[in-house]
Amino acid sequence: MSKIVAIAKKELKTYFKSPIAYIMLIVPIGLFNLIFYMIIEQNREVSLREVFRVMEFMFIFLIPILTMGLLAEEKSTGTMEFLMTAPLSNTTIVLGKYLGILIFFSILISLTLVYYGIAEYFGSPDRLTTLSGYVGIWLEGAFFIAVGLMTSSWTRNQIVAAIAAYVILFGLFFSTALTQYFSGTSKLLIEQLGTQGHLEHFAVGIITVADVTYYLSGILLCLILTRLSIENRLWQ
Amino acid sequence: MIITENITKNFGSFEALKGISFDIKQGEIVGFLGQNGAGKTTLMRILTTYLPPSSGKVLIDGIDISKNSLSVRQKIGYLPETPPLYINMTVLDYLKFAADIKDVNVKRRRFQLQKVLRECQLEEVKNKTISTLSKGYKQRVGIAQAIIHEPKLLILDEPTSGLDPIQNHQVRQLIKNQQDQRTVLLSTHILSEIEQIAHRVLMIKSGRIIVDQPLDSLLKPDNDQSPPLTLEAVFMQHHSLQTSPATPELTAEPTSESTGASHE
Repeated sequence: MSKIVAIAKKELKTYFKSPIAYIMLIVPIGLFNLIFYMIIEQNREVSLREVFRVMEFMFIFLIPILTMGLLAEEKSTGTMEFLMTAPLSNTTIVLGKYLGILIFFSILISLTLVYYGIAEYFGSPDRLTTLSGYVGIWLEGAFFIAVGLMTSSWTRNQIVAAIAAYVILFGLFFSTALTQYFSGTSKLLIEQLGTQGHLEHFAVGIITVADVTYYLSGILLCLILTRLSIENRLWQ
Repeated sequence: MIITENITKNFGSFEALKGISFDIKQGEIVGFLGQNGAGKTTLMRILTTYLPPSSGKVLIDGIDISKNSLSVRQKIGYLPETPPLYINMTVLDYLKFAADIKDVNVKRRRFQLQKVLRECQLEEVKNKTISTLSKGYKQRVGIAQAIIHEPKLLILDEPTSGLDPIQNHQVRQLIKNQQDQRTVLLSTHILSEIEQIAHRVLMIKSGRIIVDQPLDSLLKPDNDQSPPLTLEAVFMQHHSLQTSPATPELTAEPTSESTGASHE
């Protein structure tokens, strides 16, 4: 466990030493602020439901940028050889990397808690709905990060890693649009694979075992595939 | 310390290593020679568990690397040809990270950090960002990470490649100082370096070991009246080349070797 924390700490430290960490905090928060203001101004409703939807859409664009270098950069600079010849298991490397970026993402999310404060000040938002919305968006972000980490393990090229993550995330996000062309089991399967329906439940205050299982199993699957990719040196 | 038995490594249809076998005893400094693409880096990567062999067996300090690679890695310090550095970190942060992931005892961590900083003459740059350091310093940071956990075996892949003569001397001295503490396997194109440091020479050609001899006996002339041979002459002889200034790859100035395992 201490080695996982060491890798996560290293990730965060190196991240905050580059301007990208600050850009990745300032730009999304600036955009969320603007959108939050527009939604409140237009709807006159003290609910963060619409904000969560916008966050979900924006994370599809932002998270691959956050994750593209996680393993691809290690490979292109040769530090992967350093990690893989140190007494670290592949699982430790994957979990350390994942934890590091998950902490960064949690910082980003926590900065938006101010919206809840504003909503509370001007009205009476449903606390449980807001809390479940935050749980949902955090789980979704955690899932997207796992996808980005996985694609970063496939190649030494960061751009390729980002594009692969975009393809998967867009596929998951827009899959519900395809359901009209299917019926029966395949329709149900595509519906379940898509992210939108799952987050929607959280955003309206419904936390179901099925939705939590969807995100957790997605994260686990991506982390296992990342480990396998490292083990089999897929990038070589 | 190292026992290898009939190691082979194939990259697709390309046979990079063809039945490599040798033993290295504890405390030896072994010079590992070969032309570019002969298989040196591939063999080093197998010894460090970075690459699995296609067949054959490797024992490091009595442990089979295929069965317990994590224990083996604990005993090995490795400096690849390109030092594996996080250039945005300071020297101290990088070495602390290396100590963390290499199981350096928490109580000994501060002592070990001071020791490697002193030994590698990095004290004055310890708070500098690695990207701002000269190549010689970067190389020494690479060696510092390799020895921070007091490994029994140190594997160095062209540690003096691209350094100026003074940096070269400093790194060579640093390697020489390791001989009392650990076994060293050193790959280099600088033959004079091997003559100065190594006890023994392993020469590899097209994936096979062609020389495995103590340096003294390797350089001993056939005739007692003749002057001692040079390693360069021996190298040329084994590669069927004439000693001439027109063979730059084999002179004192190295050329950089490809790091791509698939061609090594």
